[in-house]
Amino acid sequence: MTTNQKYNQFIAFLIFSFVINASLSSRNWKAPDDQKDKNSYIKFDASTAAQGEAIYNANCASCHGNPGKNNALKSLNPIPPDLSSTASQSLTDGELIYILNNGAGLMPSFKNSLGEEKEWMVISYLRGFNKNYIQELSKFDPAKSKLVKLVSSFDKASNSIIVNATADEKNGKIAIVGAEISVFVKRYFGNFQIEKALKTDASGLAKFSFPTDLPGNKNGDLEVLVKLYDENYGEVQVTKTYSIGVPTDKPGLNEDRAIWNTLVKAPLWIIGLYATGLISFLLLLAFLLNNLRGIFNSKV
Amino acid sequence: MLDKKTSDQIVADLTSHIKLSMGFKVWMAFLSVSLLVCLYAYFLQLRDGMIVTGLGDYVSWGMYLANFVFFVATSLIGMLISAVLSLLNQKWAAPLARIAEIIALAFAAVAGLVIIMDMGHPERLLNVFIHGRIQSPIVWDVTVVTIYVLISALFLYIPLLPDLKICSEKLTNIPPFARKIYTLLSLNWSGTTEQKNLIKKSTGALSIFIIPVALAIHTVTSWLFANTSRAGWDSTIFGPYFVIGAFVAGTAAVVVAMFVFRKAFNLEEYITDFHFDKIGKLLVLVSLLYLYFNINEYMVPAYKMKHADAFHIQTLFTGSYAPLFWATQILGLILPIILLILKPMRKPLPLLIISIFVILGAWFKRYIIVVPTMEHPFLPVQNVPINFKVYSPTLIEIGVTIAPMIMAVLIITILSKVIPVIPIHETLEHRNEQEK
Amino acid sequence: MSEQSKKPNDKSRRDFLQNIGMAGVGTLLGGAAVWAGFNYDSKKTAKQRIKVLTAENKLVEIEKDAILDIEKSPAQQLTYLQQRGRDGLEGKRFVMVIDLSKCQNARKCMQACQEAHHLRPEQHHINVLKMQETATTQPYYMPKPCQHCDNPPCTAVCPVDATFKRQDGIVLIDNERCIGCRFCMAACPYSARLFHWQEPLFSEQDKDLVYDVEQNVPQRRGTISKCLFSADKLREGKQPSCVSACPNGVYYFGDENEDVVTNGTTKESFRFRKLLADNGGYTLMPELGTKPRVYYLPPKGKTSPFQEKDKEEAAEHFHG
Repeated sequence: MTTNQKYNQFIAFLIFSFVINASLSSRNWKAPDDQKDKNSYIKFDASTAAQGEAIYNANCASCHGNPGKNNALKSLNPIPPDLSSTASQSLTDGELIYILNNGAGLMPSFKNSLGEEKEWMVISYLRGFNKNYIQELSKFDPAKSKLVKLVSSFDKASNSIIVNATADEKNGKIAIVGAEISVFVKRYFGNFQIEKALKTDASGLAKFSFPTDLPGNKNGDLEVLVKLYDENYGEVQVTKTYSIGVPTDKPGLNEDRAIWNTLVKAPLWIIGLYATGLISFLLLLAFLLNNLRGIFNSKV
Repeated sequence: MLDKKTSDQIVADLTSHIKLSMGFKVWMAFLSVSLLVCLYAYFLQLRDGMIVTGLGDYVSWGMYLANFVFFVATSLIGMLISAVLSLLNQKWAAPLARIAEIIALAFAAVAGLVIIMDMGHPERLLNVFIHGRIQSPIVWDVTVVTIYVLISALFLYIPLLPDLKICSEKLTNIPPFARKIYTLLSLNWSGTTEQKNLIKKSTGALSIFIIPVALAIHTVTSWLFANTSRAGWDSTIFGPYFVIGAFVAGTAAVVVAMFVFRKAFNLEEYITDFHFDKIGKLLVLVSLLYLYFNINEYMVPAYKMKHADAFHIQTLFTGSYAPLFWATQILGLILPIILLILKPMRKPLPLLIISIFVILGAWFKRYIIVVPTMEHPFLPVQNVPINFKVYSPTLIEIGVTIAPMIMAVLIITILSKVIPVIPIHETLEHRNEQEK
Repeated sequence: MSEQSKKPNDKSRRDFLQNIGMAGVGTLLGGAAVWAGFNYDSKKTAKQRIKVLTAENKLVEIEKDAILDIEKSPAQQLTYLQQRGRDGLEGKRFVMVIDLSKCQNARKCMQACQEAHHLRPEQHHINVLKMQETATTQPYYMPKPCQHCDNPPCTAVCPVDATFKRQDGIVLIDNERCIGCRFCMAACPYSARLFHWQEPLFSEQDKDLVYDVEQNVPQRRGTISKCLFSADKLREGKQPSCVSACPNGVYYFGDENEDVVTNGTTKESFRFRKLLADNGGYTLMPELGTKPRVYYLPPKGKTSPFQEKDKEEAAEHFHG
């Protein structure tokens, strides 16, 4: 390979990676301005960093590798960045949690799988690789979430779940306005979200139209989880069981007689054929043994 | 020719081989030593696991299964000669019936062992009886092979009763305990009409019942393959295809046994060129039928060339298995048919040589049915070592494959040394009828 | 004369009666088998449930049988685990959805699986294949676990009921019963099964473990192993090892009865039938009638290209 060819390839590679990076970064890596300055309400310390490390190793290391070890998954395109690098550390806490919540490029969202508290712990761990980092704490007071009263009800006429968010402040009960409400139905491996998250209206209400065909248990019961997120009041969630699902009681998949099932559930035709064959053989055997006995007992 | 001989001469001729000759002892010693060597190979397989074979996660059935099919196939001849030909009143086959039954019994009994040698946990064999699922072709196979062994044993034993009596009376140079055993086994045979009738009834019932059982054992064996959806096995004609193939292998095996017994036991007057000529014709007949089934079996998928089938057909016709495939088809089937149409080729020696080729062809044909299909499953074979992709049997595996062959020969040898290989009673009756 | 002619008649009558007797015994035996088959009763006794305090100070209600107390002998524990493994989870019908457009051949699933089930590097419960149908179509990566068919050819042929299908749809293997005939491997059109030709990887260190059917550990020489959908994890409400190990969001796993599948990477949940309908979901080789419980979403709009080095291997299969 001549130097010229190599040079051309290099240029081509540069253009290619520029295009790829540009297309990914321009779309996904930019947090909205109001998210950019978001800060953690958890104070980063050795304990949060240690918890964060465990979470990181379980959820992030398979692609990003260990910080500073240059062992990211090379088969991905682009190669996931080393999170101890200057480029990564130059992002604000707000930008980092935005990426964790929403994903970026190939990276999935961790909003559901981790949740905000664990995400902050991961960030706490990552900031340990940056000597110049000084944490700015959010002004949010976690104690305020205790004041929240989150009530959900089912409206049969419109087939929807109505959520009412209020707070018991010193000066009386007030409606929480503009809080983000999400409604989930609990499933075996995770929560299934009903519609999209909505903001509460002026009276602290949010209305979610509920699917009519969601399977419940035998009685049609569904466990509904309502989550509230508000800048002042933080995260609150309540669960309640409603009988609004389709009653579902499917039999086990191995109930029927089948060629692949166990002996006691063998198809009748096979039991019949097998038994017939065996019985005919036993009859023949009896006949022959009896003949042999006859020969043995025969007198001259 | 036999007319000129007295009954006593015939009895003497036909029992002369029941003695422990020097040749027999040497032959037995040779077989035993070879068997021990092969059993050592099996011991290694038990000790180190089946890693000692050339099998892998894709070709998970290999030589052992091919061998099993071959054994079941060969054992089918008992049914063809003793039952079908006698029901069709083909009297010429009568002197060969016992040879056929001996082969059937030996090969069927050993077939069970072959399959046990292929198991990862042979000590769990009883699970088949404790937890058996009658939906599994293996349970059908175990059932019908057991029944076939029992029926073949009875089919050998019941017509043997008069001969056992003759042995106990006429054999002079046998130890007293042996005489006692012959007497005991002959079940008080004295040739009364009642006894004769009972034998006739029994063999009549047996020769009818053995036909479905024999068809079942080989059809069920073919279903081990045909009941899967793999290319090359997924075929509705596998049952009859295997049965006819079995007749080819079995007939050739009978020819070899006839030739050996005739030479070793001086039976030239009882197994004559006439018999060789007849069985040669039988071999042509079954081979032609087998050729027909072969054409059927390969023509249909080769015409359609469905994805997986096309792959299979190409491997056999022009690919890595082409040399073996064409060798078995031409040397083991087409050439024998052409040659055996010529009368001089049905003389004992040429027929013997052709039969040996037919037997070899029959064994490799089973190999070709089992292995290539496993080498190309529906989904690609990837991320595994090369020895999982291409199967080549190991030396230990070959040893374990040969062991049952030796066992079968051993059983045949021993049986031929304790019972008359040509039915004496029937030969005498036949002669008496002719005299009248 | 009449005396003499009568005798054989008597005799034959006696014989006849004896024959009838023997035939009777035979019929009885066969009849018993038939009766056992007919009389299969699906009655299940209600399981006794008790409350226990967990290490995390949570009060949970469990089946009484589920307490594996230390005093139980290994043999009793084994019997319990075998029975539990055969019963499966009531009311569940597990399904997996594999989104081929997201698979980049990271192989984290294979790795996690081999770790969870103590397999050698060449042994695959799940195998990521390089696929290409024709010369003109695009190659793609296809993770292939056991399809946990609803009409499983492998369990149909098993002579000893060592491999079986449970009420929740999972096809498992009991390697304490397997005789190693490998008929199931021959019958499986998806090449989903493996055989332990030699001592398994951790046979020395696992030798004191009680065998768990749902994890198939310890693995055993001379027996079959296969993908189990991590039945042991499902019991705890966790997703299979491969599903949660995937960095690229390829896998969805859930319960068909709940009509929801949850992505193993993002933990986002989707309506199962809608996911299939919206993305053209399909099963492998439906023409075989095996009715897989693993569904695929086609490799449409792949986010990452098929790697150059894998192209040759992908093409091998269709060239024949």
